[in-house]
Amino acid sequence: MTTEVFTTRIVEELKNIIGVHKPEFCYQCAKCTSGCTANKVFSEYRPHEFVALANMGYVEEILKSGVIWACTECWKCGQYCPQEVAPVEVIIALKNLSIIKGYAPPKALVEMTKNVIEKGLIQDINQVMTKDFEFIDRDSLGLPPLEEPPQMDKHRNILSKFFGVVMK
Amino acid sequence: MRYLLYLGCVIPTKQYAYEVSLREVFPKFGVQLEEFNERCCGFPLKSINKKAWLYMGARVLARASELGLPILAPCNGCHVSLWETKHQMEEDPYLKSEILSYLKSEGLYKFDDVDIKHPVEVLHDIIGLEKIKEKVVRPLQGLKIASHPGCHLMRPTDIPRPEDNANPDKIDRILRALGAESYDYPDKGGCCGATMLPFSPDNAIKVGAQKILTMINAGFNAATTSCPYCMEMLDNKQDAAKTITGNMEVSLPVFYLTQLVGLAIGIEPSKLLINLNMSPVDEILAEVGVV
Repeated sequence: MTTEVFTTRIVEELKNIIGVHKPEFCYQCAKCTSGCTANKVFSEYRPHEFVALANMGYVEEILKSGVIWACTECWKCGQYCPQEVAPVEVIIALKNLSIIKGYAPPKALVEMTKNVIEKGLIQDINQVMTKDFEFIDRDSLGLPPLEEPPQMDKHRNILSKFFGVVMK
Repeated sequence: MRYLLYLGCVIPTKQYAYEVSLREVFPKFGVQLEEFNERCCGFPLKSINKKAWLYMGARVLARASELGLPILAPCNGCHVSLWETKHQMEEDPYLKSEILSYLKSEGLYKFDDVDIKHPVEVLHDIIGLEKIKEKVVRPLQGLKIASHPGCHLMRPTDIPRPEDNANPDKIDRILRALGAESYDYPDKGGCCGATMLPFSPDNAIKVGAQKILTMINAGFNAATTSCPYCMEMLDNKQDAAKTITGNMEVSLPVFYLTQLVGLAIGIEPSKLLINLNMSPVDEILAEVGVV
């Protein structure tokens, strides 16, 4: 009984994040998996299975495996799903939920989040090497500087609240 | 034609060739680009927190709304993200009021009246193929160019997308207007793998390598994209792709669409930062007599 209550709750939590798409409409045709970009390189990455597992309440099991982060969000599965389940949106919601439950996302994403809070962009201005072994950046190219837009302090505060869990 | 040039994250910090070629080419067609220093649209962090992603997109739109001009978003990620933000808020008034409450604290009140365009749309739908043809002084004859639209130029189709998911051909038509050859090929709408990079760089690069091989097998001698993420995967990481796959045949010259338009209308390669393309572009350009 306790397990039942627990699994229902986590599925509801997941559905709240998913929004309009309904995983319960999935009838397991596996069209999503047959065209999946991530499945080409990770055979264990099968969107139709994640949808089935989530429907049955095995959400924590998917989160633990961490393989959801292989999704490239190419939206092929969402496009070709005959039931408009959009497995990609289920996966994105699973990723969101994994953050809420305290699982760590790939390191590079934590770095990007940190940069977005601090600078507003996912990365710093890079010096890039040309084929002639010359280093260039915005300055040397004479491109306009990336001035801070107005109200950045307030923006930062809001972002810090949103992303607090990731930064811990 | 005036647009707010919304560069996003990757273009102004790394993919300089896209920004520079865009700034060179668009004014030649009478398109005025206004500076618009806004921050991340939220796209790369949608997987971390969807609400934060919506808020970030809405903020960019709200700033544009204040300035009263449409946005030009050259990054496929930004373009899809801003449209999706608009769409989701229309669908969910409750969510919209929540996001608006964040914006209000920053003195922003409105965001749903902003149009968002992608360079492919501006070139094909607004400038038009005839105007492009008129300006071509150096036809790209001899180049068989594969169009790589990139996922988000085509999908999801429940929001306005520049390319048709079933039959993406706007880029092909632009390429033909430039004098090059272009045709359909298997997995044209396939993914470059960029979003997988944080999770598994090697496998992400394998996805990109596969896409390049598909283009080569279809008989192309060059490829083009208009997304900074796709460029990073298909062009910048070609050497890495050779090492990781052990396949030396993963080698194809890749250009930004704006670079190709620039070359065809007579802009010097150095002004289009062709020396930032890491794929073997020089040989092919010499072969067809462009440089």
